[in-house]
Amino acid sequence: MALAAAALSAAAGEPTAASDKPAAQQARPARNPIDRWNQMSPEERERELSKLPPERARQIRERIRRYNQLPAQEKQELREGYQKFAQLPADKQEIVRQSMREFRQLPMERRPLVRRAIGQLRAMPEGPRGARMNSEEFRSQFSPQERQIIRDITEYLPGQPK
Amino acid sequence: MNCPMQHRNSETLMAYAAGELDRETGAAIERHLSACPACRSKVAGQVALWNALDIWEAPPVSPDFDRRLYRRIREQVRLSWWERLARPFRPMPLRQALPLGATACLLVIASFLIQQTDGLAPVQPRSEVVRADQVERTLDDLELLRQFGPANQAETSRADTM
Amino acid sequence: MESRVKTEMGVAAAALDYDAELMLRVKDGDGVSFGLLLEKHRVSVIHFLYRLVQEAAVAEELAQEVFLRVYRSRNSYEPTAKFTTWLFRIATHLGLNWLRDGKRDRGLERLDDTSPDLPVRQICDRRVSVEQRLVYDVKLEEVRQAVAALPEKQRAAVLMHKYEEMEYAQIAKVLGCSESAVKSLLFRAYETLRARLAHMGRT
Repeated sequence: MALAAAALSAAAGEPTAASDKPAAQQARPARNPIDRWNQMSPEERERELSKLPPERARQIRERIRRYNQLPAQEKQELREGYQKFAQLPADKQEIVRQSMREFRQLPMERRPLVRRAIGQLRAMPEGPRGARMNSEEFRSQFSPQERQIIRDITEYLPGQPK
Repeated sequence: MNCPMQHRNSETLMAYAAGELDRETGAAIERHLSACPACRSKVAGQVALWNALDIWEAPPVSPDFDRRLYRRIREQVRLSWWERLARPFRPMPLRQALPLGATACLLVIASFLIQQTDGLAPVQPRSEVVRADQVERTLDDLELLRQFGPANQAETSRADTM
Repeated sequence: MESRVKTEMGVAAAALDYDAELMLRVKDGDGVSFGLLLEKHRVSVIHFLYRLVQEAAVAEELAQEVFLRVYRSRNSYEPTAKFTTWLFRIATHLGLNWLRDGKRDRGLERLDDTSPDLPVRQICDRRVSVEQRLVYDVKLEEVRQAVAALPEKQRAAVLMHKYEEMEYAQIAKVLGCSESAVKSLLFRAYETLRARLAHMGRT
């Protein structure tokens, strides 16, 4: 029974029980790896970084520094968005990740249009959203690749746009 | 004219042509080359060959390579679950079979749920130590998600009104 | 263990160890580590297979199969060799099998593959004249033909040595032969290629 319970928990993608951790650490649940990284000691951080090639370690240090310097509001929004993303099953995460990478490779002038379409579709209920994506007007506005990006991000990226 | 050393020193000449010899050995080869047209010709020919091979660039990788791979992995996971279910069970006495059957059912359900994310679900860390590559991956994800965050949505709306 | 590996084997070996460490995490069920390995090695595997089979779409299909097999083998993975040795052993095996399955009799596809899955390759500099482009195409075709004419194992050895910059010892482990056999393969291959192509590369 214990095996089945553990398996169900793991399969549902839930984190390992917080009750396993000491009480002091439970006070600030930090599920974002960057937040947990910031809570590690400098020695622990350097030990982990030393396992990577020096240039890559240097870039990670720099990127973390830039992240930590973001305005609090923006950091909080990113944290919330990431938390929802991280709760997706790993294969859905990869679909979204791949689509977002492809979005980044689109020509600059296409990105606002695709982004706007994604924002509008994510705010729509499922029925009208499907109708809109299958409409001739929509199909004529976007290339097959763009439509695939829009479809994947709309379907899998969690959280309604504000 | 053939150099009597040529065949024996093919590997050394190749390494010299590739610039892989230490200074001392390289200097010794250079002295030999200055007096040996056969070896000189071979080295020049090898360098010329490598220059010729250099023009052969491979095409860029398809942007959806990863997506297609992960789809195939998901298909594999689904197929292996069906195969496992299809394996026959040996008959056994009822008093043994009932509790074992109940446990087997639970394990099958657990196995099904594990298979949905088998191998693709991130392992939860056993301690608070976060790996540097996990942080790097999170930074990558945050940058991707930021494209669709509130700040960029606002920018898209502003662009609409301009 | 990591610090001992670094001091005894050097930074490069520690980096190689890192691939094996990632694969062991995949064995533990860490999908993120599989993604990292894919990101790191995807391009070199595809490019190696492309030059081996000389068909872009086939190369990608075979590369997919390579990574699929890596993933499927995760539960029995043991770091007995460098990760890239194992990876290229799978890739070479699949590539050579594809060649031996008779596809080599189909003849070479044109370089500017018009498959809808892949962009048509363009020379970046748009100022290149038509004549220069034609000269380039002819040279490229010569290179492709020369490599395709090599016996399969020589071809695989040259591609690993020249384009993947692998050392003799690693190529030997990939091909399942001795280091001296690899040197022999390579020297014969380069001799053949020099006779056909060296005129192109002289400055």
